Amino acid sequence: MTNLTMVEAINLALAHELAADPNLLVMGEDVGVNGGVFRATVDLRKTFGPRRVVDTPLAETMIVGAAIGMATQGLHPVAEIQFMGFIYPAMEQLICHASRLRNRTRGRLSCPLVIRAPFGGGIHAPEHHSESTEALLAHIPGLRVVIPSSPLRAYRLLLAAIRDPDPVVFLEPKRIYRAVSQPVADDGEALPLDTCFTLREGDDLTLISWGAMIQETLKAADSLKQQGVGCEVIDVATVSPLDRQTLIASVSKTGRALIIHEAPGHCGVGAEIAATLQEHCLLDLKAPIRRVTGFDTIMPYLRQEMLYMPSVERILGVAAEVLDFGR
Amino acid sequence: MKYFKLPDLGEGLPEAEIVNWHVAVGDQVEVDQLLVEVETAKAIVEVPSPCAGTIVALFGAKGDVIHTGEPLVEFDHQESGDSGTVVGKLAQAPGASEDHFIIGAAPSSRQAHHARATPAVRALAARLQVDLDQLSPGPAGLITAAEVEKAAHLEQQHGAAESLKGVRRAMANAMAASHSQVVPVTLHEDADIHDWAPGTDITIRLVQAIACACRKNPAVNAWFDGTSMSRRLRQVVDLGIAVDTAEGLFVPVLRNVASRDEADLRAGLDRLRQDVVKRTIPPAEMQGATITLSNFGTIAGRYANPIVVPPQVAIVGAGVVREEVVARAQQIAIRRILPLSVTFDHRAVTGGEAARFLKTLIMALTKA
Amino acid sequence: MKKIYEFRIESRRFINSAGKVIATLPEGYDAGLLRQAYEHMVLIRAFDQKAIALQRTGKIGTYPSILGHEAISIAAGMALRKDDVFVPYYRDLGTQYLRGVRLVEQLLYWGGDERGSCFAAQKEDLPICVPIATQFCHAAGVASAIRFRQQPRAVLVSGGDGSTSKGDFLESLNLAGAWQLPLVFLIANNQWAISTPRYLQCHAETLAQKAIGAGIAGVQVDGNDFVAVHDSLTQALEKARTGQGPTLVEAITYRLGDHTTADDASRYRSQDELKKAWDEEPVKRLRTCLAHQNAWSEAEEKALLTRCKTQVEQVVSDYLNTPPAAPTAMFDYLYARLPADLQPQYDHLKAIRPEAGHD
Repeated sequence: MTNLTMVEAINLALAHELAADPNLLVMGEDVGVNGGVFRATVDLRKTFGPRRVVDTPLAETMIVGAAIGMATQGLHPVAEIQFMGFIYPAMEQLICHASRLRNRTRGRLSCPLVIRAPFGGGIHAPEHHSESTEALLAHIPGLRVVIPSSPLRAYRLLLAAIRDPDPVVFLEPKRIYRAVSQPVADDGEALPLDTCFTLREGDDLTLISWGAMIQETLKAADSLKQQGVGCEVIDVATVSPLDRQTLIASVSKTGRALIIHEAPGHCGVGAEIAATLQEHCLLDLKAPIRRVTGFDTIMPYLRQEMLYMPSVERILGVAAEVLDFGR
Repeated sequence: MKYFKLPDLGEGLPEAEIVNWHVAVGDQVEVDQLLVEVETAKAIVEVPSPCAGTIVALFGAKGDVIHTGEPLVEFDHQESGDSGTVVGKLAQAPGASEDHFIIGAAPSSRQAHHARATPAVRALAARLQVDLDQLSPGPAGLITAAEVEKAAHLEQQHGAAESLKGVRRAMANAMAASHSQVVPVTLHEDADIHDWAPGTDITIRLVQAIACACRKNPAVNAWFDGTSMSRRLRQVVDLGIAVDTAEGLFVPVLRNVASRDEADLRAGLDRLRQDVVKRTIPPAEMQGATITLSNFGTIAGRYANPIVVPPQVAIVGAGVVREEVVARAQQIAIRRILPLSVTFDHRAVTGGEAARFLKTLIMALTKA
Repeated sequence: MKKIYEFRIESRRFINSAGKVIATLPEGYDAGLLRQAYEHMVLIRAFDQKAIALQRTGKIGTYPSILGHEAISIAAGMALRKDDVFVPYYRDLGTQYLRGVRLVEQLLYWGGDERGSCFAAQKEDLPICVPIATQFCHAAGVASAIRFRQQPRAVLVSGGDGSTSKGDFLESLNLAGAWQLPLVFLIANNQWAISTPRYLQCHAETLAQKAIGAGIAGVQVDGNDFVAVHDSLTQALEKARTGQGPTLVEAITYRLGDHTTADDASRYRSQDELKKAWDEEPVKRLRTCLAHQNAWSEAEEKALLTRCKTQVEQVVSDYLNTPPAAPTAMFDYLYARLPADLQPQYDHLKAIRPEAGHD
């Protein structure tokens, strides 16, 4: 097993499936010769040829729309939107077609495609390159929205997304594209979608997060452990459809929940999780469910972006309030 | 192995209380080195280390109750033996770290160990300084404001209640379980032991008489499962013997009492008592009884309605031996009398079977 | 200054508005073919009129009439081969009919039932597309898949004049050119996008010339002339099937009806203009043409109308007798497998509607 970063693990998963599935093709802006602006598709064109790894014109609506058309013909397109900030022209295709083609044709046609997009802040990128708008996508019935938080889960979840018979938007937390390296075996094993992952077990407080924020969340959990507080850390991983049962089971046990995400809190995925927890765990709750999120402001440019994003200190501050509640 | 989780130290024991840690975070331990003493339902058990390694974390402090299947100790291991956990190695800028995760929710035997109450009731409890975990929930599984207020009133007048732990807690659970399952009938009769040689060991005579009566009435020496409606007649008589201690009631098992002589039985019984008093009795020594003897007569009391503990179907109670005026061969006589009480589970044993058992028991005891 | 590129857009017409053949018909356009086309056009018009009536009587929802589009619609259906793929917009009744989409499915669709897009006899064609111009991207994808597999098939995608103003159209046109896709764009330019007339839509002289910017061929045809539309599409589709690239065909017609049954065109266009447009309409034109060739009689006309009426009545009866879908159908096709997260909602729906569910 070699140590891989997340972006390398994604490349590995794409190569694995290109080799395994003759109907799979990788498409998008600069994915071929250049290997993607983050190098997620590097060398794939060399290995699999320009027929399978396709550079497209610069047109996001068309990239997603054409992928839908390809999928109706039984191809499995994996399309890259270069940054999530450029996905919005394709929203109509995602909402009106990709997510509902199976439903509106009563199963006659379906849309087994994957849209990959790097997202989130913290890499000092230009304007429009750093937002986390997964909630916009999570609000679309018929779509899956999957966010990995480690190289291993990126490899296994991307395989699962590609093999899923329905459309999946696979959002890649680019801040940790290369920040973390871990052993990843190219064994072709997928993880289940629609499932949370419990990264740490604990009895006192459930920390719920996904994507790059898992890093800060784990650090906060480690710090709380030093203080004798046992945190259960849950990586939501599939933000739509949600694995509510895992979240409910954990918070029923701990009685305390803290949700951490980079996106603005208002109408974020954390709000949905909080609503779910109060519906199901009210009688077990020892403190209010709290969220630590990006502010409800425009994401600042790179000079102030770290002020915007939840830090370990912010997480610990709110965690202390939750733990001290009623004491 | 990264996490050593509390194994089931008995048969279906749901929890154990930490009595004493023998290791600390940072310690290097060897295989089988003593890690911790825990108190299960009926005994203090020494838990050894399953592997060699350095201790990273201890879960729980002295007095904490750990549920079966929950982590007890964390080792600094790189690999994990837990199924369902995918493990990787996470190399970060400052050294290596690990990536463990469980697909879905973490498994645990714990079932809502804390009290369930509405936020308003929680606030009331906090204001009145009532510990919700000390209250028993109502029919809906919920603690109500009235119960909190009642508890506050009680505490104000009579002081805080003591939470049952260990053996007492186990007794409470076992008795409640029996009460909810068993259909008990108790028979009372006296055994005339006047003709015994002086210095006869009453307890051992009782043990032998029960063994004899069980052999002749196998329906009484059995295990009964009310869920599957099945019974197992036991060939061997393994006699549970109730032992009273300050900590609570222990019932160690005297094995195969039918095939052992008096001296062997006495030695075995003494050893069990000692182990109980020293609290070193292993859990296995308190499991698998086929019938029980409660010899409360060593203290006081004539008759009783002793409680059958499933899956057993019968229990014998022996009261204080006394001299009594009795009618005997048309004469008034003063005789030494041993009062007996036999409770049987009428789901598994007929009245006739129980009465014949009692009759055989008395015949065996009456012999000189 | 050096001139580096010039373009020219041809306009094609064989039969004028009086039904007179004004240019030599291409080979194969004999009376038999034209009669066949005419019979299809009359059936489609009869069905279209019935559909409007059904909407007016509350039997179906909003419906977009195809009145005036009959030649384009039938020509496209007849030009396509069975193994080609058709990607429609929402005014393609005739083409869909000839592609095997049953008329009862049209009524189900416009009557608000998703089963209307589960074509029993047409597996590949895409369903009716309401969001304007989004279908062009799908067609580019379908054509990409055909090119990927190097199949000798073509894709036909249609849209209205308004749709050519959208980026989706231009992005797809661009991709078709860049990748030389086996794709034919058919623009039914009926002069109106709801209330917006063609001249406000775009300053270009023709819509066909938008092809030039994408480096592909563009042609304008008289959309009320069955032969012009059919011949142009036949050529373009054959070009596509044989790897010679895409074509944009702009078919000029006039929307004789309202945009939909929810629209009232008299608010924004004059009766004079409408009256003039009726002089150009395709059904009468083809009938006159056939009559001129002594290839159509009054008796045949009467018999055809009776046949169409009977057929349409049967379709309406089939539609009205279609049992309702299971209430849980909204969950049944959302994903390939119902996610666990949705099970409680599914169960709730079943509970509030005990007859719901398939078990």
